Amino acid sequence: MPHFSNKKIIVLLVGTIVLVALIGFSLRDRQNATLPEQFIKDSVGLAQSIVAKPANYITNTFQDIQSLLNTYKENQRLKTRLEDFAALQAEVNNLKSENEQLRDLLDHEESLRDYEPLRATVIARNPDQWEEKIIINKGSSHGVKKNMAVITTQGLIGKISLVTPFTSEVELLYTNNPNFRVSAVVQSEKNVAHGLIEGYDEERNELILKRIDSSLEINKGDKVVTSGLGGIFPKGILIGEITEVTTEDFGLTKMAYIKPAADFSMLEKVIIAKRSATVIDGSDGDGTDADLTNNTGIPGEGEEE
Amino acid sequence: MWIRLMIPLLAILLFLLEPAFALFSPIEWNGEFFYFVPRFLILYLIFLSIYYNPKRAVTYGLIFGLLYDVFYIDIIGLYTVLYPLVCYIAGWSVKYIHQHLSITTILSVLLVALMEVALYYFFRFIDFTNLPFTEFFMNRLVPSILANLLYLIMLGWAFKYLIDARVLQKIRELS
Repeated sequence: MPHFSNKKIIVLLVGTIVLVALIGFSLRDRQNATLPEQFIKDSVGLAQSIVAKPANYITNTFQDIQSLLNTYKENQRLKTRLEDFAALQAEVNNLKSENEQLRDLLDHEESLRDYEPLRATVIARNPDQWEEKIIINKGSSHGVKKNMAVITTQGLIGKISLVTPFTSEVELLYTNNPNFRVSAVVQSEKNVAHGLIEGYDEERNELILKRIDSSLEINKGDKVVTSGLGGIFPKGILIGEITEVTTEDFGLTKMAYIKPAADFSMLEKVIIAKRSATVIDGSDGDGTDADLTNNTGIPGEGEEE
Repeated sequence: MWIRLMIPLLAILLFLLEPAFALFSPIEWNGEFFYFVPRFLILYLIFLSIYYNPKRAVTYGLIFGLLYDVFYIDIIGLYTVLYPLVCYIAGWSVKYIHQHLSITTILSVLLVALMEVALYYFFRFIDFTNLPFTEFFMNRLVPSILANLLYLIMLGWAFKYLIDARVLQKIRELS
């Protein structure tokens, strides 16, 4: 039994109290980083981005080698796809021009689909990988705001969860945060089914799409995209593909497992999508009854709903 | 002079390298995801604690733990406690173990495994994860431990070399 002096016990007790207070403070749902936090984040972020450059180079080489090994198989597969692609391209162009004409006719300029892309580089990934998040090198000084959608060329990966002047944190879709919901649409051949991405299955490594109307038919292999109705994300960003359809606990609605389209393991370049249409904060700004539609500078955060 | 500076500089470098290596993970193999958690810094600090000066190691652990919490984790107080605690245990164990490189390596990896389990229970407690323990053990703990062991086998001697050089220098200064 080690001997503890009075002084040591007091220090230990005060330390424990401060510790619990700090953890409690940081676990709260915070809007912004405090000033010292911002300072640390920005300075570590600066050093980090210097180190990240050679590291990214190595990652690239690694990826190049990997893709080189698969070249032959991929080439075969792509050749068969190419013919379909040409036909599809023609159809898309056709539809695009038609859409534009109709839009002109209606005098309807703004679309939920439009967004301004802002390119960013990933400088770090949370090394202990419990909470899935990455840190990117663009911050509030570049116009990044909380809750903006973050995508890669393959599809949606997450949203901005915390902003400091020169860095920001992205909460990935692979999260257990129950408030992280994405309004999504299943594009099947016959109909359009709305649902919400809510949570993710850790054992299957797939996202869960819930609250789909059970009268609508959805199938394995259908593509899932964002609907833009949550008020924050732009419309039409690919999320993934359905792998299994089941009924939810009470049998009232359907739910589906979705394999994400984006590759989460080697993220390097991401695009922040700043929606052009009015952004509507999902939550009632801290219960203040603030006018959410006309006032764009509302305080308070909103989770995608 | 440069040996004196090398010790904190190496700690900073390892701190910055950790997330770069985390970008490689998770690796998908046979339809399962395996997570490799780089623990370069704390392994180095354990070496520092055993071969150099436990008090210094605890101070470094406190500083880097705080940086780690603020920059990556956003839960201030988690690594700020765990890092110094692990360093303290390592420093305390010096009295009971033989300071051979292989024994230190095994001890460091064991301590990191313990820290990893403590973290798992903490994140479970605050509902960040609902991963069952077996999944955690197979997909996270074992791959991380193997990767970190490999890293220590490759670089452990270098740490020891550097720290020994510093200790010798200190003795010379004193005499």
